[in-house]
Amino acid sequence: MTNHTDALPAPEVMADVQARIARLVDALRRVMLGKEQTIDEVVAALLARGHVLLEGLPGLGKTELVKGLSRTLSLGFRRIQFTPDLLPTDITGSHILQERDGRKDFTFHPGPVFTNLLLADEINRASPKTQAALLEAMQERRVTTFGETRSLPDPFFVLATQNPIELEGTYPLPEAQLDRFMFKVDVAGVDRGVLEEILLTRVHGEPPPLEPVLTPADLRDVFAVVDTVHMPRAVASYIARLVAASHPGDAEAPEPVRTFVKYGSSPRGAIAIGAAARGMAVLRGKPNVGFDEVRRVAAPALAHRLVLDYTARLEGWDGRRVVAALLESISDVERGLPQTLGAR
Amino acid sequence: MQELPVSVRRALHRLTRRLAIGLFLEVWPAWAVGSLLLAGTVVLIARLFLPHLTSIVPWFWLAPVVAAIPALFVCARRMYRPAHVLAIADALAGGDGLLLALSERPDSAWTGAAALARVATLPLPRVRPWRQLRLIPPSLAFLAIALLVPQRVTPVGAQNAIASHVVADVTAGVAAMKKEQLITPEEEKKLEQEIERIRRGAAKRVDASSWEAADAMQERVAASLATKQDAVKWAQQSLARYGAAAQAGANSSSGTTSSMAADAAELTKALSRLAEAGMLNGAPSELADLAAGRGSLPTDSATLAKLQAALGRFLDERAGRLAAAMATAKGGRFDASEFATSSDTSPDGDGDPGRGGVNRGRADADLTWGRETQPFDRFKAQALPPGSVRSPDDWAPIAVLPGAPGGGAETSRSVAPRSYAAGAGQEAWRRTLAPRHQSAVKKYFDASH
Repeated sequence: MTNHTDALPAPEVMADVQARIARLVDALRRVMLGKEQTIDEVVAALLARGHVLLEGLPGLGKTELVKGLSRTLSLGFRRIQFTPDLLPTDITGSHILQERDGRKDFTFHPGPVFTNLLLADEINRASPKTQAALLEAMQERRVTTFGETRSLPDPFFVLATQNPIELEGTYPLPEAQLDRFMFKVDVAGVDRGVLEEILLTRVHGEPPPLEPVLTPADLRDVFAVVDTVHMPRAVASYIARLVAASHPGDAEAPEPVRTFVKYGSSPRGAIAIGAAARGMAVLRGKPNVGFDEVRRVAAPALAHRLVLDYTARLEGWDGRRVVAALLESISDVERGLPQTLGAR
Repeated sequence: MQELPVSVRRALHRLTRRLAIGLFLEVWPAWAVGSLLLAGTVVLIARLFLPHLTSIVPWFWLAPVVAAIPALFVCARRMYRPAHVLAIADALAGGDGLLLALSERPDSAWTGAAALARVATLPLPRVRPWRQLRLIPPSLAFLAIALLVPQRVTPVGAQNAIASHVVADVTAGVAAMKKEQLITPEEEKKLEQEIERIRRGAAKRVDASSWEAADAMQERVAASLATKQDAVKWAQQSLARYGAAAQAGANSSSGTTSSMAADAAELTKALSRLAEAGMLNGAPSELADLAAGRGSLPTDSATLAKLQAALGRFLDERAGRLAAAMATAKGGRFDASEFATSSDTSPDGDGDPGRGGVNRGRADADLTWGRETQPFDRFKAQALPPGSVRSPDDWAPIAVLPGAPGGGAETSRSVAPRSYAAGAGQEAWRRTLAPRHQSAVKKYFDASH
């Protein structure tokens, strides 16, 4: 994810990439109506090669969004419906004793994780042991079974969904696993106008057929451009100050952080913000990351990384609200205007 | 930053200047308030305890200006670096980040981007110093009030001032004598020592003796001047007589010669007196020789006339100086013009020295209580006619009232009660009597029964 080039991407390159991504976004918007912000966040995370956890009530189109993404990207797609009896090997694959040429031997049968785009549906319904099977795959992008390590295809994305209700019989994702998701995107309901449009355009509720808009080669080119997006030092400083201030012991931490946060974000959170901001910049056709991109991706990148105190729930504070307070209190520039100057 | 478009660089320069102004206005007020409060405190202390700082106290108005120096130093240390200015400009222009990116990685391909155009037309942040400046007016008022506090004169200073006032007249007299060169250095030193002694005494304690000592010295100075004036007059008169004698000596009579010798001796003596009085300082050398007895008066008329003219001019000049010095030296504490001379102007006699009233007059006047009888209209003694003693027998009835008992005393005592007991008593009782007599009359008649 680091930027090793010395020149900014050329304007025409950026325009080309932006046009390709715009096609992808348009396709996804046809699948998931009225969810432009959610789609932007998912695409930004995708461009940053990060994993996304989609959280929302059933029937909001989370699964359809992921499926639409797989179709438009021409990538390998597998879906795992997480259930309590799901085993780790059901994800990673396992060795099966097979007889071949008169010889019995263990043959590795890859699990559904060996794909480009993995939909982990209702991930919180599987046991922690099974959830942990995804840990190595998500972070290391490889799987180890019986002492053999196998790399996963490139690119590899995990898009998981979870239901915030019906929590009986579920296993909330541990903090370590949550940390491996670049974004946790809250999928909210749609308004009346969107519902009307759904009713008028979809007879049985199925999404419109989608055609691939990006080939894997295109996607690699896009990733290469994302890597050349420049992050100015002032913006990096802003990200660092934001993440540092998410810890209650930091001098710049705002009052909500001091009151409701037990543990702030890990450095992985800062990395996630930086990478996602690059993806967002490319989405906007910019050769560099700005303060605005950081503000845009801070909430989905940080909210699930904050370990909140029990009082936060009592007071009605969640991670996004704390991050909003954080963004409100931390100035984007390290040294702001003097108190005697006011922006017009 | 040189790779950025000119318009962007200009905008950044303008922003840099505005930031410097804003920073100064952020730093300076605290220093100004502190300096004003400090200056006000110092002024108050000076007003109350340090009167010798009075002359420099008004300069404390410049405290805020002086405070600008450390404020500028602080501003220089906290000055916005180019990276800060770029970040602020980028944030003000919408947080696009392109300005920051181009400053770190110059790329001419992106210099025409809309984000840079926004930076070029960036409206400068408005200066809003009122919140920082809000404490300056009260601080300024504090300093103004401190400056308006009247200078407190310490008791020692007041005593010294009074002591100086006591010896002011005599000091002026001595100064006038010195100015007119009418005093020898020895006399001057002696007088100044005396003045200093009086002044020191008055500085410790001012009472009547201080004023009396100053007055006595004033009189001595005046007397000294009078002595010198007398010596000058004597010399002038002696010179006139000697000149007349010399004129008469031209007839070469023996009587005239003896008179001329006597006049010459008197003139020489007068000159010696002048020299003793120190009045020959700066005199022509022949006069000094004459006064010292080293020379003799010329006998020829031409030389004599020349000497006479020189001596006359010198004496006139000395007389003029003496008159000027006398005018100063005789000025005492008493000024008659301060007291009205008309005794009729005030019913209390106020105005006339010694006439009482609110103004009791000068201390050396006779103590009176006002409206005392003047000697010329006192009552004259008037002889009364001789008195006489009347004899007890020398009497005669003036009138006889009706109803009065007649006859002798015995007759009236035995008859009258019987014949008038019923009626006369009642009549008497009904008669108008003074209340104080009624009880006596009633008792008389009741006893008679």
